[in-house]
Amino acid sequence: MTAMTPPLLETRSLGKIYLNDDVETPVLFDVSLAITKGEFVAIMGPSGSGKSTLMHILGFLDTHTSGDFLFQGEQTQAFDDDALARIRATRVSFVFQAFNLLPRTTVFDNVLLPLLYHPTIPTSEREARTNKAIAAVGLTDRATFFSSQLSGGQKQRVAIARALVTDPEVIFADEPTGNLDSASGAAVMEALQKLNDAGHTIILVTHESETAAHAKRIIRLHDGRVVEDTTSFKRRVANENTKLK
Amino acid sequence: MNSNDLLRTALRGLRTNRARAAMTMLGIVIGVASVALMLSLGRSFQSYILTQIDRFGTNTIDIFPVGLEKFGGNLDSLTLDDARAVARLSTVRSVAPVIVVGKPVRFEDEERSPMVMGTTREIFGNYGLELEAGRLLDAHDDDSTRFVTVLAADTARELFGDIDPVGRRVDIGGFSFTVVGVLKGMGSLLLQDLDSMVYVPFNVARSITAQKHVTYITLKAAADPQLAKQDILSLLRQRHRIRNPENDPDKDDVIVRSAEQVTSIVQSVTLGLTVFLGLVAAISLIVGGIGIMNIMLASVTERTREIGLRKAVGARHRDILWQFLCEAVSLTAFGGAVGLLFGTGMGWMLTRVASRFLGEVPFALSPVGAILALVMAAGTGLVFGVFPARKAARLSPMEALRYE
Repeated sequence: MTAMTPPLLETRSLGKIYLNDDVETPVLFDVSLAITKGEFVAIMGPSGSGKSTLMHILGFLDTHTSGDFLFQGEQTQAFDDDALARIRATRVSFVFQAFNLLPRTTVFDNVLLPLLYHPTIPTSEREARTNKAIAAVGLTDRATFFSSQLSGGQKQRVAIARALVTDPEVIFADEPTGNLDSASGAAVMEALQKLNDAGHTIILVTHESETAAHAKRIIRLHDGRVVEDTTSFKRRVANENTKLK
Repeated sequence: MNSNDLLRTALRGLRTNRARAAMTMLGIVIGVASVALMLSLGRSFQSYILTQIDRFGTNTIDIFPVGLEKFGGNLDSLTLDDARAVARLSTVRSVAPVIVVGKPVRFEDEERSPMVMGTTREIFGNYGLELEAGRLLDAHDDDSTRFVTVLAADTARELFGDIDPVGRRVDIGGFSFTVVGVLKGMGSLLLQDLDSMVYVPFNVARSITAQKHVTYITLKAAADPQLAKQDILSLLRQRHRIRNPENDPDKDDVIVRSAEQVTSIVQSVTLGLTVFLGLVAAISLIVGGIGIMNIMLASVTERTREIGLRKAVGARHRDILWQFLCEAVSLTAFGGAVGLLFGTGMGWMLTRVASRFLGEVPFALSPVGAILALVMAAGTGLVFGVFPARKAARLSPMEALRYE
């Protein structure tokens, strides 16, 4: 990265206050961070720390209430609903803890879904792309199964296939292993790892250290504030130092 | 999202919940079926009545005393001399005076009460009556006051059964008549059964009833029925000494009615009736539409997470709006098509049933009505789908995804 290229995602003193029936609930305070292309970031913190909210803002699912959020150096406040929808369709995608697959719908159609809303990928490419994404998570033999016929691990791999079918720059994963046993969780993390190796930026929200260990950088939140932001290299050095003591 | 995707997504949305879709559709099916039924019945009966009138020919004109139509009106205002005077007009032809003889008809032990009409041979041509056996009445029967009679099909069958009536004698009000002819079955005309009639010579009817006036006069216009009507009216006003330059029907003591006029009355009455019944049926469409709205609202709530997901993967406000609208319209359009088939089928069945009692009632499908019913059904989906669809489209992706 040269000094001329702005970070992919950048926040400056970002804050978020939820307003429910005139009751203000502040969730994020003064969050400043920059994430560059190709990073594998884990956002950690106890529940209620604001980690999911931060991810939703970074993923254009939610909006901030103060500070700045820049996408490739561009202020996102100027984006209208359609522009945000377009970014969600083309640049980012999500893997949710609860999988969020369409019920009574096949694996193929679930993975195909984002392509229906993609503004530039032609209809003729849909089938090939969908099959490729399903193959990438090793579920080709399950393509015609209904989502209800799959195990939890398989469902999450379908969700990953759905997230990569549009070939987005950033894939957000919100507790992707939260509902899975350890073997399935490991398979899911392996799939995300591969995507990161292929150049996708991965932003993961988790409270499990084991899951976070896959990330090259950990951002730790507590009560809506960033309390730690370290790369795995720094962490290793810190760990080594602790051991030496 | 292109329109093809939109339709497929909407149809898939409906397919994944067939039972609910079917129940929602039921309201529309019933609504459209009743609209289609009313419109097709209206048209069928209109064309039934018009076909009947056509058998007369539109140039048939009837003259009758106001008392036949207005309660308390004069029943005696027409005389044989009136009929003769009318017959001399150049604008009319085939004038037949009619005296209705209110007497029963008997053959051996069988007694019936058909309408006994004393008239001249012209009536057969005017009403399009055809002979099955024997001969019709002729001028000679009238001039010589012969006690002969021609029976309509049903009367002949009821009185004689398998026996050939021609040449046999029947008793009409205590007088003995020789049957000279039997008519072909004609069905009914404007709810009057043409097959339960007995025809006797006019002069015979006059002598046995001792009636001076005639019950009514039937004739054909030589050319323009309007012109003939005018001529008849002015002649009869002159003969009855009625001054009525302003053509006020209340001042006349007779009514002159052409089949043409009856046709237009029938048309406007059935049209009015069809529109009225169609509107009543349309109310059920509105009820069906409210049903659609309720179910779609429930569906939006139930599918909140799906909406959230679709938005998370890039669906725009309008993609969701159109998806739900498209679901509602597909539902109502399909329901409308089913209802149309159902209503039309019912209409067909009812005309078949009616045909058994009224003579052939042709089944008429109203293409305008069919299209109207379908458009109304789809429109119902559109109108009542807007609110739930907007509700769905306005959900924020985050709130929708979090929805439990």
